[in-house]
Amino acid sequence: MVRLDSVGLRYGDGPEILKDVSFHLRPGSFCFLTGPSGAGKTSLLRLLFLALQPTRGLINIFDRDVTQVSRRELPLLRRRIGVVFQEFRLLDHLTTFDNVALPLRVSGQREDFYRADVMDLLSWVGLADQAHAYPPVLSGGEKQRAAIARAVISKPELLLADEPTGNVDPVLAKRLLHLFMELNRLGTTVFLATHDLKLVSQTKSTVFHLEKGMLKVA
Amino acid sequence: MTGHRDTRKGHIIPPEAAPLKALTVTMTVMCYLACLAIGALILINRAVDNWTSGLSREVTVQVRLLQDTDIERELANGKALLERTPGVTGVEVLDRSAGAKLLEPWLGTNNLDDLPIPRLIRVTIDEKAPPDFDRLDADLKKSVKGASLDTHRRWEAELTRMASALSALSYAILVLICISTIAMVIFATRTVLDANRHVVDVLHLVGAKDGYIARQIDSRFIKTGLMAGLFGVMLGILTFFLLGLTGTAGGGGFADASRGLLFAPPAIALWSYGALFSVPVIATLICLITSRMALIRMLGSVL
Repeated sequence: MVRLDSVGLRYGDGPEILKDVSFHLRPGSFCFLTGPSGAGKTSLLRLLFLALQPTRGLINIFDRDVTQVSRRELPLLRRRIGVVFQEFRLLDHLTTFDNVALPLRVSGQREDFYRADVMDLLSWVGLADQAHAYPPVLSGGEKQRAAIARAVISKPELLLADEPTGNVDPVLAKRLLHLFMELNRLGTTVFLATHDLKLVSQTKSTVFHLEKGMLKVA
Repeated sequence: MTGHRDTRKGHIIPPEAAPLKALTVTMTVMCYLACLAIGALILINRAVDNWTSGLSREVTVQVRLLQDTDIERELANGKALLERTPGVTGVEVLDRSAGAKLLEPWLGTNNLDDLPIPRLIRVTIDEKAPPDFDRLDADLKKSVKGASLDTHRRWEAELTRMASALSALSYAILVLICISTIAMVIFATRTVLDANRHVVDVLHLVGAKDGYIARQIDSRFIKTGLMAGLFGVMLGILTFFLLGLTGTAGGGGFADASRGLLFAPPAIALWSYGALFSVPVIATLICLITSRMALIRMLGSVL
Protein backbone atom coordinates (compact mmCIF):
# COMPACT_ATOMS: atom_id res chain seq x y z
CA MET A 1 0.00 0.00 0.00
CA VAL A 2 2.59 2.56 1.17
CA ARG A 3 6.34 2.06 1.33
CA LEU A 4 8.98 4.63 2.21
CA ASP A 5 12.69 3.90 1.80
CA SER A 6 15.32 6.29 3.18
CA VAL A 7 13.13 9.30 2.58
CA GLY A 8 14.57 12.71 3.33
CA LEU A 9 12.86 16.07 3.10
CA ARG A 10 14.05 19.62 3.39
CA TYR A 11 12.35 22.90 2.49
CA GLY A 12 14.61 24.92 0.21
CA ASP A 13 18.08 25.24 1.68
CA GLY A 14 16.85 24.66 5.23
CA PRO A 15 17.74 21.76 7.53
CA GLU A 16 16.44 18.28 6.81
CA ILE A 17 12.95 17.89 8.33
CA LEU A 18 12.76 14.15 7.72
CA LYS A 19 15.86 11.95 7.82
CA ASP A 20 16.06 8.47 6.36
CA VAL A 21 12.43 7.68 7.07
CA SER A 22 11.56 4.12 6.10
CA PHE A 23 8.38 2.18 6.85
CA HIS A 24 5.75 0.05 5.23
CA LEU A 25 1.96 0.27 5.62
CA ARG A 26 0.31 -2.97 4.62
CA PRO A 27 -3.14 -2.92 3.05
CA GLY A 28 -5.79 -2.88 5.77
CA SER A 29 -3.38 -1.85 8.53
CA PHE A 30 -4.14 0.69 11.25
CA CYS A 31 -1.18 2.75 12.45
CA PHE A 32 -0.54 5.78 14.62
CA LEU A 33 2.15 8.36 14.16
CA THR A 34 3.16 10.13 17.35
CA GLY A 35 5.80 12.65 18.20
CA PRO A 36 6.29 16.11 19.67
CA SER A 37 5.31 19.26 17.83
CA GLY A 38 7.77 20.12 15.09
CA ALA A 39 8.95 16.51 14.77
CA GLY A 40 7.84 16.44 11.12
CA LYS A 41 4.50 14.58 11.41
CA THR A 42 2.61 17.01 9.16
CA SER A 43 5.44 17.03 6.61
CA LEU A 44 5.38 13.23 6.51
CA LEU A 45 1.62 13.26 5.96
CA ARG A 46 2.02 15.86 3.19
CA LEU A 47 4.43 13.52 1.47
CA LEU A 48 1.90 10.71 1.77
CA PHE A 49 -0.98 12.71 0.29
CA LEU A 50 1.23 13.78 -2.59
CA ALA A 51 1.37 17.46 -1.74
CA LEU A 52 5.17 17.32 -1.51
CA GLN A 53 7.94 15.46 -3.28
CA PRO A 54 10.76 13.96 -1.19
CA THR A 55 14.20 15.53 -1.44
CA ARG A 56 15.65 12.02 -1.53
CA GLY A 57 14.59 8.44 -1.07
CA LEU A 58 11.73 6.46 -2.52
CA ILE A 59 8.00 6.65 -1.82
CA ASN A 60 5.70 4.02 -3.28
CA ILE A 61 1.95 4.46 -2.91
CA PHE A 62 -0.48 1.96 -4.47
CA ASP A 63 2.60 0.37 -6.12
CA ARG A 64 3.48 3.64 -7.85
CA ASP A 65 6.71 5.54 -7.37
CA VAL A 66 5.38 9.01 -6.56
CA THR A 67 8.23 10.71 -8.42
CA GLN A 68 7.07 8.97 -11.61
CA VAL A 69 3.38 9.89 -11.28
CA SER A 70 2.31 12.24 -14.07
CA ARG A 71 0.25 15.37 -13.55
CA ARG A 72 -2.78 13.68 -15.16
CA GLU A 73 -2.58 10.65 -12.85
CA LEU A 74 -2.21 12.66 -9.65
CA PRO A 75 -5.95 13.42 -9.12
CA LEU A 76 -6.85 9.78 -9.66
CA LEU A 77 -4.36 8.69 -7.01
CA ARG A 78 -5.54 11.39 -4.60
CA ARG A 79 -9.14 10.18 -4.94
CA ARG A 80 -7.98 6.93 -3.37
CA ILE A 81 -6.65 8.83 -0.35
CA GLY A 82 -8.76 10.58 2.30
CA VAL A 83 -7.10 13.34 4.27
CA VAL A 84 -8.06 15.07 7.51
CA PHE A 85 -6.09 18.25 7.90
CA GLN A 86 -5.05 19.61 11.27
CA GLU A 87 -6.49 23.00 10.30
CA PHE A 88 -9.61 21.33 8.77
CA ARG A 89 -9.39 23.22 5.45
CA LEU A 90 -13.14 23.48 5.03
CA LEU A 91 -14.35 25.92 2.37
CA ASP A 92 -16.15 28.74 4.18
CA HIS A 93 -18.44 29.59 1.26
CA LEU A 94 -19.86 26.05 1.02
CA THR A 95 -22.34 24.48 3.42
CA THR A 96 -21.30 21.58 5.61
CA PHE A 97 -23.17 19.28 3.21
CA ASP A 98 -21.30 20.66 0.18
CA ASN A 99 -17.96 20.49 2.00
CA VAL A 100 -18.49 16.85 2.90
CA ALA A 101 -19.74 16.03 -0.60
CA LEU A 102 -16.81 17.80 -2.30
CA PRO A 103 -14.72 14.68 -3.13
CA LEU A 104 -17.78 13.09 -4.75
CA ARG A 105 -18.69 16.25 -6.60
CA VAL A 106 -15.21 16.73 -8.09
CA SER A 107 -15.14 13.09 -9.18
CA GLY A 108 -18.20 13.86 -11.31
CA GLN A 109 -20.95 12.16 -9.27
CA ARG A 110 -24.44 13.61 -9.34
CA GLU A 111 -25.98 14.94 -6.15
CA ASP A 112 -29.00 12.64 -6.53
CA PHE A 113 -26.69 9.66 -6.05
CA TYR A 114 -24.69 10.87 -3.07
CA ARG A 115 -27.21 13.00 -1.14
CA ALA A 116 -28.44 10.14 1.10
CA ASP A 117 -24.90 8.87 1.81
CA VAL A 118 -23.70 12.35 2.78
CA MET A 119 -26.69 12.93 5.06
CA ASP A 120 -26.21 9.52 6.70
CA LEU A 121 -22.55 10.27 7.36
CA LEU A 122 -23.42 13.73 8.71
CA SER A 123 -25.90 12.07 11.08
CA TRP A 124 -23.27 9.60 12.16
CA VAL A 125 -20.80 12.36 13.08
CA GLY A 126 -23.60 14.37 14.73
CA LEU A 127 -23.82 17.13 12.12
CA ALA A 128 -27.17 16.41 10.47
CA ASP A 129 -28.66 19.56 11.95
CA GLN A 130 -25.75 21.59 10.62
CA ALA A 131 -25.96 20.26 7.05
CA HIS A 132 -26.76 23.64 5.61
CA ALA A 133 -24.71 25.68 8.05
CA TYR A 134 -21.51 27.30 6.86
CA PRO A 135 -18.15 26.51 8.51
CA PRO A 136 -17.67 29.96 10.11
CA VAL A 137 -20.63 29.27 12.41
CA LEU A 138 -19.46 25.78 13.39
CA SER A 139 -17.49 25.12 16.58
CA GLY A 140 -13.97 23.69 16.39
CA GLY A 141 -15.26 20.21 17.15
CA GLU A 142 -17.96 20.45 14.49
CA LYS A 143 -15.42 21.58 11.91
CA GLN A 144 -13.23 18.66 12.90
CA ARG A 145 -16.10 16.23 12.36
CA ALA A 146 -17.02 17.81 9.04
CA ALA A 147 -13.39 17.49 7.93
CA ILE A 148 -13.36 13.82 8.94
CA ALA A 149 -16.65 13.22 7.14
CA ARG A 150 -15.21 14.80 3.96
CA ALA A 151 -12.13 12.55 4.21
CA VAL A 152 -14.11 9.34 4.53
CA ILE A 153 -17.17 10.03 2.34
CA SER A 154 -15.60 8.45 -0.75
CA LYS A 155 -14.52 5.35 1.20
CA PRO A 156 -10.82 5.86 0.44
CA GLU A 157 -8.31 3.03 0.34
CA LEU A 158 -5.92 5.04 2.49
CA LEU A 159 -6.95 7.48 5.20
CA LEU A 160 -4.43 9.98 6.51
CA ALA A 161 -5.40 12.14 9.46
CA ASP A 162 -3.46 14.88 11.20
CA GLU A 163 -4.63 15.26 14.81
CA PRO A 164 -8.17 14.13 13.95
CA THR A 165 -9.37 14.28 17.55
CA GLY A 166 -7.52 17.39 18.62
CA ASN A 167 -10.61 19.58 19.01
CA VAL A 168 -13.22 17.15 20.31
CA ASP A 169 -14.14 15.90 23.78
CA PRO A 170 -13.00 12.41 24.89
CA VAL A 171 -16.43 10.87 24.23
CA LEU A 172 -16.55 12.12 20.66
CA ALA A 173 -12.86 11.27 20.21
CA LYS A 174 -13.67 7.68 21.09
CA ARG A 175 -16.60 7.73 18.68
CA LEU A 176 -14.44 9.07 15.88
CA LEU A 177 -11.82 6.44 16.63
CA HIS A 178 -14.56 3.84 16.21
CA LEU A 179 -15.43 5.40 12.85
CA PHE A 180 -11.79 5.05 11.77
CA MET A 181 -11.70 1.45 13.07
CA GLU A 182 -14.93 0.67 11.24
CA LEU A 183 -13.46 2.06 8.02
CA ASN A 184 -10.34 0.01 8.67
CA ARG A 185 -12.48 -3.09 9.17
CA LEU A 186 -14.02 -2.39 5.76
CA GLY A 187 -10.55 -2.38 4.21
CA THR A 188 -9.27 1.17 4.48
CA THR A 189 -5.67 1.53 5.56
CA VAL A 190 -5.59 4.15 8.34
CA PHE A 191 -2.62 6.30 9.34
CA LEU A 192 -3.35 8.73 12.18
CA ALA A 193 -0.94 11.37 13.44
CA THR A 194 -1.82 12.33 17.02
CA HIS A 195 -0.59 13.64 20.33
CA ASP A 196 -3.39 11.84 22.12
CA LEU A 197 -1.68 8.88 23.77
CA LYS A 198 -4.96 7.81 25.43
CA LEU A 199 -6.41 7.38 21.96
CA VAL A 200 -3.38 5.35 20.93
CA SER A 201 -3.69 3.11 23.95
CA GLN A 202 -7.27 2.18 23.04
CA THR A 203 -6.11 0.02 20.13
CA LYS A 204 -3.41 -2.53 19.60
CA SER A 205 -2.16 -0.83 16.48
CA THR A 206 1.36 -0.22 15.26
CA VAL A 207 2.70 3.07 16.58
CA PHE A 208 5.42 4.98 14.76
CA HIS A 209 7.22 7.63 16.76
CA LEU A 210 8.79 10.55 14.97
CA GLU A 211 11.33 12.72 16.72
CA LYS A 212 13.75 15.23 15.19
CA GLY A 213 12.91 13.86 11.77
CA MET A 214 13.81 10.27 12.68
CA LEU A 215 11.16 7.55 12.69
CA LYS A 216 11.07 4.60 15.09
CA VAL A 217 8.51 1.89 15.73
CA ALA A 218 7.35 2.46 19.31
CA MET B 1 -32.13 10.28 5.17
CA THR B 2 -31.91 12.68 8.05
CA GLY B 3 -32.56 16.42 7.93
CA HIS B 4 -33.20 18.51 4.87
CA ARG B 5 -31.21 20.95 2.80
CA ASP B 6 -31.32 23.47 0.07
CA THR B 7 -30.70 21.39 -3.05
CA ARG B 8 -28.86 24.23 -4.85
CA LYS B 9 -25.16 23.47 -4.92
CA GLY B 10 -22.87 26.33 -3.95
CA HIS B 11 -20.30 27.69 -6.39
CA ILE B 12 -17.04 25.89 -5.76
CA ILE B 13 -15.20 29.14 -6.54
CA PRO B 14 -17.19 31.91 -4.83
CA PRO B 15 -18.09 34.70 -7.32
CA GLU B 16 -17.44 37.41 -4.74
CA ALA B 17 -13.96 36.13 -3.82
CA ALA B 18 -12.33 37.76 -6.84
CA PRO B 19 -14.67 40.12 -8.68
CA LEU B 20 -13.94 40.73 -12.35
CA LYS B 21 -15.46 44.24 -12.40
CA ALA B 22 -12.13 45.87 -13.29
CA LEU B 23 -11.63 43.41 -16.14
CA THR B 24 -15.20 44.03 -17.35
CA VAL B 25 -14.62 47.79 -17.44
CA THR B 26 -11.24 47.60 -19.20
CA MET B 27 -12.51 44.99 -21.65
CA THR B 28 -15.54 47.17 -22.40
CA VAL B 29 -13.16 50.02 -23.30
CA MET B 30 -11.11 47.66 -25.49
CA CYS B 31 -14.24 46.36 -27.23
CA TYR B 32 -15.43 49.94 -27.76
CA LEU B 33 -12.09 50.86 -29.36
CA ALA B 34 -12.27 47.70 -31.46
CA CYS B 35 -15.73 48.77 -32.69
CA LEU B 36 -14.39 52.20 -33.65
CA ALA B 37 -11.47 50.58 -35.50
CA ILE B 38 -13.83 48.16 -37.29
CA GLY B 39 -16.18 51.04 -38.17
CA ALA B 40 -13.24 53.00 -39.58
CA LEU B 41 -12.12 49.97 -41.55
CA ILE B 42 -15.58 49.52 -43.07
CA LEU B 43 -15.81 53.20 -43.98
CA ILE B 44 -12.34 53.23 -45.54
CA ASN B 45 -13.08 50.15 -47.63
CA ARG B 46 -16.41 51.57 -48.79
CA ALA B 47 -14.84 54.94 -49.63
CA VAL B 48 -12.08 53.24 -51.63
CA ASP B 49 -14.69 51.21 -53.52
CA ASN B 50 -16.65 54.36 -54.31
CA TRP B 51 -13.59 56.33 -55.36
CA THR B 52 -12.10 53.63 -57.53
CA SER B 53 -15.38 52.74 -59.24
CA GLY B 54 -16.08 56.47 -59.90
CA LEU B 55 -12.59 57.06 -61.20
CA SER B 56 -12.52 53.95 -63.36
CA ARG B 57 -15.83 54.89 -65.03
CA GLU B 58 -14.48 58.16 -66.38
CA VAL B 59 -11.38 59.58 -68.04
CA THR B 60 -10.69 63.15 -69.09
CA VAL B 61 -9.13 64.52 -72.24
CA GLN B 62 -7.43 67.84 -71.75
CA VAL B 63 -6.88 70.07 -74.80
CA ARG B 64 -4.46 72.93 -74.26
CA LEU B 65 -4.75 76.19 -76.18
CA LEU B 66 -1.92 76.45 -78.70
CA GLN B 67 -1.05 79.34 -80.96
CA ASP B 68 -2.50 79.21 -84.46
CA THR B 69 -4.95 76.43 -83.62
CA ASP B 70 -8.71 76.55 -83.60
CA ILE B 71 -9.58 75.07 -80.24
CA GLU B 72 -13.19 74.35 -81.19
CA ARG B 73 -12.03 72.40 -84.26
CA GLU B 74 -9.54 70.41 -82.16
CA LEU B 75 -12.31 69.64 -79.66
CA ALA B 76 -14.58 68.47 -82.46
CA ASN B 77 -11.78 66.23 -83.80
CA GLY B 78 -11.22 64.82 -80.37
CA LYS B 79 -14.92 64.19 -79.83
CA ALA B 80 -15.21 62.41 -83.16
CA LEU B 81 -12.18 60.24 -82.43
CA LEU B 82 -13.45 59.33 -79.00
CA GLU B 83 -16.92 58.45 -80.28
CA ARG B 84 -15.35 56.03 -82.75
CA THR B 85 -13.24 54.33 -80.09
CA PRO B 86 -14.50 50.96 -78.83
CA GLY B 87 -15.11 50.96 -75.06
CA VAL B 88 -16.17 54.60 -74.95
CA THR B 89 -19.84 54.94 -73.97
CA GLY B 90 -20.19 58.70 -73.72
CA VAL B 91 -18.35 61.89 -74.72
CA GLU B 92 -19.12 65.37 -73.39
CA VAL B 93 -17.17 68.49 -74.31
CA LEU B 94 -17.15 70.77 -71.28
CA ASP B 95 -17.36 74.50 -71.91
CA ARG B 96 -14.68 76.95 -70.86
CA SER B 97 -16.48 77.84 -67.64
CA ALA B 98 -16.19 74.21 -66.43
CA GLY B 99 -12.40 74.41 -66.72
CA ALA B 100 -12.40 77.84 -65.05
CA LYS B 101 -14.47 76.49 -62.19
CA LEU B 102 -11.88 73.79 -61.53
CA LEU B 103 -9.24 76.49 -61.16
CA GLU B 104 -11.33 78.69 -58.89
CA PRO B 105 -9.99 77.23 -55.63
CA TRP B 106 -6.47 78.30 -56.63
CA LEU B 107 -6.97 81.41 -58.79
CA GLY B 108 -10.29 82.83 -57.62
CA THR B 109 -12.96 84.20 -60.02
CA ASN B 110 -11.20 87.37 -61.21
CA ASN B 111 -9.13 87.75 -64.39
CA LEU B 112 -9.64 84.19 -65.58
CA ASP B 113 -10.77 85.46 -69.01
CA ASP B 114 -7.18 86.37 -69.90
CA LEU B 115 -5.74 82.97 -69.02
CA PRO B 116 -5.33 80.15 -71.57
CA ILE B 117 -7.49 77.72 -69.65
CA PRO B 118 -7.36 74.20 -71.19
CA ARG B 119 -10.62 72.71 -72.40
CA LEU B 120 -11.85 69.39 -71.13
CA ILE B 121 -13.67 66.45 -72.67
CA ARG B 122 -15.37 64.12 -70.18
CA VAL B 123 -15.27 60.55 -71.47
CA THR B 124 -17.41 57.83 -69.99
CA ILE B 125 -16.10 54.33 -70.55
CA ASP B 126 -17.36 50.81 -70.35
CA GLU B 127 -15.89 49.47 -67.10
CA LYS B 128 -16.12 45.88 -68.29
CA ALA B 129 -14.47 46.49 -71.65
CA PRO B 130 -12.41 49.67 -71.34
CA PRO B 131 -10.49 51.04 -74.33
CA ASP B 132 -6.74 50.60 -74.76
CA PHE B 133 -5.68 53.82 -73.00
CA ASP B 134 -2.10 53.87 -74.30
CA ARG B 135 -3.31 53.57 -77.88
CA LEU B 136 -6.08 56.12 -77.30
CA ASP B 137 -3.55 58.58 -75.84
CA ALA B 138 -1.31 58.10 -78.89
CA ASP B 139 -4.24 58.54 -81.31
CA LEU B 140 -5.39 61.69 -79.53
CA LYS B 141 -1.92 63.21 -79.60
CA LYS B 142 -1.69 62.43 -83.32
CA SER B 143 -5.16 63.77 -84.26
CA VAL B 144 -5.75 66.60 -81.78
CA LYS B 145 -3.18 69.28 -81.18
CA GLY B 146 -2.48 69.94 -77.51
CA ALA B 147 -4.48 66.89 -76.35
CA SER B 148 -3.55 64.62 -73.48
CA LEU B 149 -5.43 61.78 -71.83
CA ASP B 150 -5.82 61.74 -68.04
CA THR B 151 -6.98 58.30 -66.88
CA HIS B 152 -6.84 59.34 -63.15
CA ARG B 153 -4.68 56.30 -62.56
CA ARG B 154 -2.16 58.28 -60.57
CA TRP B 155 -4.88 59.67 -58.32
CA GLU B 156 -6.47 56.29 -57.99
CA ALA B 157 -3.13 54.76 -57.03
CA GLU B 158 -2.52 57.54 -54.47
CA LEU B 159 -5.97 57.13 -52.95
CA THR B 160 -5.67 53.36 -52.85
CA ARG B 161 -2.23 53.62 -51.23
CA MET B 162 -3.56 56.03 -48.60
CA ALA B 163 -6.59 53.84 -47.94
CA SER B 164 -4.39 50.75 -47.69
CA ALA B 165 -2.22 52.54 -45.13
CA LEU B 166 -5.30 53.52 -43.10
CA SER B 167 -6.67 49.97 -43.35
CA ALA B 168 -3.34 48.54 -42.20
CA LEU B 169 -3.38 51.00 -39.30
CA SER B 170 -6.89 49.88 -38.33
CA TYR B 171 -5.85 46.22 -38.48
CA ALA B 172 -2.76 47.01 -36.40
CA ILE B 173 -4.98 48.73 -33.82
CA LEU B 174 -7.24 45.66 -33.72
CA VAL B 175 -4.25 43.37 -33.23
CA LEU B 176 -2.93 45.60 -30.41
CA ILE B 177 -6.37 45.59 -28.78
CA CYS B 178 -6.41 41.77 -28.95
CA ILE B 179 -2.91 41.53 -27.45
CA SER B 180 -3.81 43.98 -24.65
CA THR B 181 -7.02 42.05 -23.94
CA ILE B 182 -5.14 38.75 -23.77
CA ALA B 183 -2.63 40.31 -21.34
CA MET B 184 -5.46 41.68 -19.18
CA VAL B 185 -7.22 38.31 -19.07
CA ILE B 186 -3.98 36.55 -18.08
CA PHE B 187 -3.43 39.10 -15.32
CA ALA B 188 -7.03 38.74 -14.10
CA THR B 189 -6.76 34.94 -14.21
CA ARG B 190 -3.67 35.07 -12.01
CA THR B 191 -5.48 37.42 -9.61
CA VAL B 192 -8.50 35.12 -9.37
CA LEU B 193 -6.27 32.11 -8.83
CA ASP B 194 -4.23 33.87 -6.14
CA ALA B 195 -7.40 35.05 -4.39
CA ASN B 196 -8.73 31.48 -4.36
CA ARG B 197 -5.47 29.67 -3.69
CA HIS B 198 -6.84 27.95 -0.54
CA VAL B 199 -9.87 26.68 -2.47
CA VAL B 200 -7.69 25.41 -5.31
CA ASP B 201 -5.39 23.62 -2.82
CA VAL B 202 -8.36 21.84 -1.22
CA LEU B 203 -9.77 20.92 -4.62
CA HIS B 204 -6.45 19.44 -5.68
CA LEU B 205 -6.19 17.46 -2.47
CA VAL B 206 -9.67 15.95 -2.82
CA GLY B 207 -8.74 14.79 -6.32
CA ALA B 208 -10.03 17.52 -8.62
CA LYS B 209 -8.45 17.56 -12.06
CA ASP B 210 -6.96 20.79 -13.38
CA GLY B 211 -9.62 20.89 -16.12
CA TYR B 212 -12.39 20.68 -13.51
CA ILE B 213 -10.92 23.56 -11.49
CA ALA B 214 -10.39 25.59 -14.68
CA ARG B 215 -14.06 25.09 -15.65
CA GLN B 216 -15.19 26.45 -12.26
CA ILE B 217 -13.28 29.67 -12.97
CA ASP B 218 -13.42 30.23 -16.71
CA SER B 219 -17.23 30.30 -16.87
CA ARG B 220 -16.95 33.67 -15.15
CA PHE B 221 -14.47 34.86 -17.77
CA ILE B 222 -16.84 33.82 -20.56
CA LYS B 223 -19.59 35.91 -18.97
CA THR B 224 -17.18 38.84 -18.54
CA GLY B 225 -16.07 38.69 -22.19
CA LEU B 226 -19.63 38.54 -23.49
CA MET B 227 -20.85 41.38 -21.27
CA ALA B 228 -17.87 43.61 -22.09
CA GLY B 229 -18.25 42.87 -25.81
CA LEU B 230 -21.94 43.75 -25.81
CA PHE B 231 -21.38 46.95 -23.81
CA GLY B 232 -18.53 47.90 -26.17
CA VAL B 233 -20.66 47.36 -29.30
CA MET B 234 -23.56 49.32 -27.83
CA LEU B 235 -21.24 52.22 -26.99
CA GLY B 236 -19.68 52.01 -30.47
CA ILE B 237 -23.05 52.10 -32.23
CA LEU B 238 -24.17 54.95 -29.96
CA THR B 239 -21.00 56.87 -30.88
CA PHE B 240 -21.60 56.41 -34.64
CA PHE B 241 -25.24 57.39 -34.13
CA LEU B 242 -24.30 60.58 -32.24
CA LEU B 243 -21.65 61.42 -34.85
CA GLY B 244 -24.34 60.93 -37.49
CA LEU B 245 -26.48 63.56 -35.77
CA THR B 246 -23.73 66.19 -35.74
CA GLY B 247 -23.82 67.21 -39.43
CA THR B 248 -26.29 67.70 -42.23
CA ALA B 249 -27.07 64.97 -44.71
CA GLY B 250 -24.78 65.10 -47.75
CA GLY B 251 -22.42 67.43 -45.94
CA GLY B 252 -19.68 64.80 -45.97
CA GLY B 253 -17.21 64.18 -43.15
CA PHE B 254 -17.72 62.01 -40.08
CA ALA B 255 -21.45 62.67 -39.87
CA ASP B 256 -22.20 61.33 -43.34
CA ALA B 257 -19.77 58.46 -42.93
CA SER B 258 -21.38 57.45 -39.61
CA ARG B 259 -24.87 57.63 -41.10
CA GLY B 260 -23.62 55.58 -44.03
CA LEU B 261 -22.33 52.94 -41.63
CA LEU B 262 -25.53 52.58 -39.63
CA PHE B 263 -28.18 53.22 -42.26
CA ALA B 264 -26.61 51.61 -45.32
CA PRO B 265 -28.61 49.45 -47.75
CA PRO B 266 -29.53 46.08 -46.18
CA ALA B 267 -26.78 44.03 -47.84
CA ILE B 268 -24.07 46.44 -46.69
CA ALA B 269 -25.70 47.10 -43.28
CA LEU B 270 -25.84 43.37 -42.61
CA TRP B 271 -22.12 43.13 -43.25
CA SER B 272 -21.38 46.24 -41.12
CA TYR B 273 -23.47 45.11 -38.17
CA GLY B 274 -22.09 41.57 -38.54
CA ALA B 275 -18.55 42.94 -38.29
CA LEU B 276 -19.44 45.09 -35.26
CA PHE B 277 -21.23 42.24 -33.47
CA SER B 278 -18.28 39.95 -34.07
CA VAL B 279 -16.60 41.96 -31.28
CA PRO B 280 -18.51 40.29 -28.39
CA VAL B 281 -18.00 36.88 -29.98
CA ILE B 282 -14.25 37.44 -30.34
CA ALA B 283 -14.03 38.98 -26.85
CA THR B 284 -15.78 35.91 -25.39
CA LEU B 285 -13.49 33.54 -27.29
CA ILE B 286 -10.40 35.46 -26.18
CA CYS B 287 -11.61 35.28 -22.56
CA LEU B 288 -12.43 31.59 -22.79
CA ILE B 289 -9.30 30.41 -24.56
CA THR B 290 -6.86 32.70 -22.74
CA SER B 291 -8.24 32.06 -19.26
CA ARG B 292 -8.41 28.30 -19.88
CA MET B 293 -4.85 28.11 -21.18
CA ALA B 294 -3.54 30.39 -18.43
CA LEU B 295 -5.37 28.42 -15.74
CA ILE B 296 -4.14 25.04 -16.95
CA ARG B 297 -0.61 26.39 -17.11
CA MET B 298 -0.80 28.02 -13.65
CA LEU B 299 -2.53 25.02 -12.04
CA GLY B 300 0.09 22.76 -13.57
CA SER B 301 2.79 24.57 -11.63
CA VAL B 302 1.07 23.71 -8.31
CA LEU B 303 1.59 20.19 -6.97
